Amino acid sequence: MGLDILFKIAGVGILVSVFHTALKQAGKEDMAHLCTLAGFTLVLLWVVQLLGRLFGTVQDVFKLL
Amino acid sequence: MWLKLLGSVCVLAAGTYIGFKLSLRCSQRPQHIRQLVSCIVSLKSYINYISMPLSEALVKSTLGTEGPVAIFFKEIATLLESNIWMNPKQAILQVLDKMEGQLALESTEKEILVVLGANLGTMNREEQNKYLSMIQEQLEKLEQEAVRTRDLNTKMYRYLGVCGGLVIVILLA
Repeated sequence: MGLDILFKIAGVGILVSVFHTALKQAGKEDMAHLCTLAGFTLVLLWVVQLLGRLFGTVQDVFKLL
Repeated sequence: MWLKLLGSVCVLAAGTYIGFKLSLRCSQRPQHIRQLVSCIVSLKSYINYISMPLSEALVKSTLGTEGPVAIFFKEIATLLESNIWMNPKQAILQVLDKMEGQLALESTEKEILVVLGANLGTMNREEQNKYLSMIQEQLEKLEQEAVRTRDLNTKMYRYLGVCGGLVIVILLA
């Protein structure tokens, strides 16, 4: 897995914050919130996949089920 | 590795280009509306005081104006001269279609121009004068709005272009 996913999440976070600021300054608050939500969903998808892998590994290690 | 890097640079450059293009279009809109207003003011004078034929007045009204707006008026004049059966509204619609990418005008301004074309040459001189003054007023209001929008949006489009490119690069990496 490595650290690349962490850097990816950090990069998306920084860019989403820039998007949010730019859109808010242009008076498009609704679009800014939508953008933040999209970024959050994207990162959540990655994290959920990783959590799934973690649970799978735990199951394998302790021979559950 | 190098191919990936080259691809990322290309995507980033494309995003930046799109952002800057949109911001340029946004910043050109008030200028084009201002030029339209100045042309309409001189058109009003040519119709009202010199009673010049429309196609000739359209060409004369662009004196001192450069760029797509001047070309727009000249194209209308050429169309009106070459097709006698054509009315100003049809000519304006045709030229607006033709110059879609060059004129940085929104649908509101285009609508005003089409309505102007529909009413040019159908009333007497006094009524046309009043009508052109009304159009001028409407365009001036739109110009103020366009200046406000430009101040807000030019920076935003640039940021969104660059950051959009970066997001795509991160997602594809």
